[in-house]
Amino acid sequence: MISEIFVIIYGLAIIAFVAWNVKRGTFIIEPSKLIPSLIIVFVLLVIFLVFNGVPLDTALGIVGRIGAGGIMFAGTVPMIGAAVGLFRFGDEYGPSIFYARNHITGIIDTVASLVMIFGGLLIFRLDLVAVGFFFFILIPFCGNALANAYYYSYHRRLEK
Amino acid sequence: MIDVASITALADSVFFWGAFTFMVAVAIAGLGALRLALKGEAVTSLMGVSAITTAAGVSLYIIQIIFEVEFARDTAIALLVLGAVGTIIFARLIRMEEGE
Repeated sequence: MISEIFVIIYGLAIIAFVAWNVKRGTFIIEPSKLIPSLIIVFVLLVIFLVFNGVPLDTALGIVGRIGAGGIMFAGTVPMIGAAVGLFRFGDEYGPSIFYARNHITGIIDTVASLVMIFGGLLIFRLDLVAVGFFFFILIPFCGNALANAYYYSYHRRLEK
Repeated sequence: MIDVASITALADSVFFWGAFTFMVAVAIAGLGALRLALKGEAVTSLMGVSAITTAAGVSLYIIQIIFEVEFARDTAIALLVLGAVGTIIFARLIRMEEGE
């Protein structure tokens, strides 16, 4: 029962924090301060567990899994936002709405690859990190190729 | 002294529900991409299909991690890599068909 309550509070806190960042349109806590702080908190948690009799590899696994779960909770908000954007921006906004949709699908790709990279690092799954990194490299080429194809096909249709 | 079994179960529970929530969000985004793929013109459909392959690939990889279904990883890798590469190739073909 306690673990379920912890999961709900932990997940809601992370989702609310990310949603607050998205609503403000900027970082509430700068990443240069937030990420080192989180790393220090996780290291302190590992030290606390080790001093209380938990083996080091088990402690690392526990803290890593909690961190990976937090990263996945954080990735939920941009995914939902992207889904809302895809449903909202229809063809009534004109031909240039393609570029907004391209941006939205780029957000889906980027969030998915970043979750794979950092989640894989925290649960010590290097295959997940490798695939996520390879996918992350391909994303800009993919978006650029789509925008390029649309630009030239649209101008071709205008000329006709 | 901390009970290792209970705290390991807590970490597993956090990871499972985090992955499950993320999969639900990815599925909703995949529905939006499906709508894009079905109603748009050629390039817009290609963009929607690309987003669907991303959503399906990430979901399959998460399924492999939390349920340990081994074949899902191979399918996920194929979807993620071939989806992105195929999108680039088809976008290039569409551009060349349209006059360059």
